[in-house]
Amino acid sequence: MTFDWSVVWQHRDALIAGTATTILLTVATMAIAVPCGIVVAILRLYGWAPVRALAAAYVEFFRNLPLILVVFWAFYVLPILTGLGLPPLATGLAALALNVTAYNAETFRAGINSIRRGQVEAAMALGMNRVQALRRVVVPQALRRILPVLASTWVSLFKDTSLVSVIAVTELAYVSMQIRAQSFRVLEMLTAMAAIYWLLGYPQAKLVDWIQRRFAVTE
Amino acid sequence: MDFDFSVVTDHWRFLASGVGITLLLSVVSGLTSLVAGLVVALLRLYGPRPLRLAVVLYIDSMRAIPVLVVLVWSFFALPILTGITMPPFVAALVGLTVHLAAYAAEIVRAGVESVRPGQTRAALALGMSRAQIVRRIILPQAIVRMLPAFGSLLSITIKDTAVASVIAVPELMRQSETLAGQSFQPIEVYTSAMLVYFVILFPVTRSVDMFYQRVAHLGRS
Repeated sequence: MTFDWSVVWQHRDALIAGTATTILLTVATMAIAVPCGIVVAILRLYGWAPVRALAAAYVEFFRNLPLILVVFWAFYVLPILTGLGLPPLATGLAALALNVTAYNAETFRAGINSIRRGQVEAAMALGMNRVQALRRVVVPQALRRILPVLASTWVSLFKDTSLVSVIAVTELAYVSMQIRAQSFRVLEMLTAMAAIYWLLGYPQAKLVDWIQRRFAVTE
Repeated sequence: MDFDFSVVTDHWRFLASGVGITLLLSVVSGLTSLVAGLVVALLRLYGPRPLRLAVVLYIDSMRAIPVLVVLVWSFFALPILTGITMPPFVAALVGLTVHLAAYAAEIVRAGVESVRPGQTRAALALGMSRAQIVRRIILPQAIVRMLPAFGSLLSITIKDTAVASVIAVPELMRQSETLAGQSFQPIEVYTSAMLVYFVILFPVTRSVDMFYQRVAHLGRS
């Protein structure tokens, strides 16, 4: 058995571009999913009853679906729904954002709910209104509990961007598997792909551990 | 737009076989990663130091690498390295187990560490051995506390089996792709697949929550 690792170096430009797309997808998805998650969580907590049910249904639905299926579904359904020929990158981004928004909404809701009701009541007894109580009492405490969860959602998202390779988004996994198919250097390319993901993901996983220790809440 | 769901009802046997494989793969890989995770966690907690470091490296690596990469690697690259060719189902089982065992190990570790060290010291003072303490004091409390996390790991396992479609395991996702490609009706097929996955996953998450609420008091100390 002989291995030819030069194939990895030959295709370095494509791999770097793929890595950049992976990072871009992660950042862009989170940039969409955090504000949208906040909105969905607020709708679910304080909205008008039918809206609340709708928000809950959305969250439960997408939390209970494999992402790869959502990606395929978005690929075929979004063009028909919107009437636009969306590029794969936009479709992948939409699928990831739909999924992560649901997770984030649940994170925000759980974070807000984790602050005991008595605190809001105490704040209101002191003469604060609802919005003040939320902004000054609940949110600052909830953030400490939300941040570690958001951090681990971030790492999951970083890994899940690999799933949009099935609709030919030219991110790291797709690029590596394309080179594998062209060069027939299967083991080399797949190992290189795993190594690049590892190099990027390992520090992130360690950072999450640190954030979780740093923001640990002791009751 | 017109939707014709007869493509799904006409080929229900084809899709149902996919559901069967999805469930089988979920249950088997859930069990293997549970057992492997327990072993890994015990090694991490009580193993000799060099082994402990290796185990930490393995766990953190699996947290850093996508499951797609692990599955593709174990199906396409592992046979080149070892000379053993595995059928897709076995490769998926191996890949999922290697990936999910790391998560299971973290759950076990968190559960074990949640039992206050004072209890271990008290048990040592009573003359129990390490193995006895793990078996009689720590695990009975820790297992209950691990349940919610294992419940979400089970739903993650079911979702991750869908990724095995990329290495041609004929589970529900793969069967749906095949049917969508042949019938040119992807919307009907994928929408139905979504409903089926939801119907499988929603009761799993819900029943784990309900079960935990009934046994939560057993984990208190």
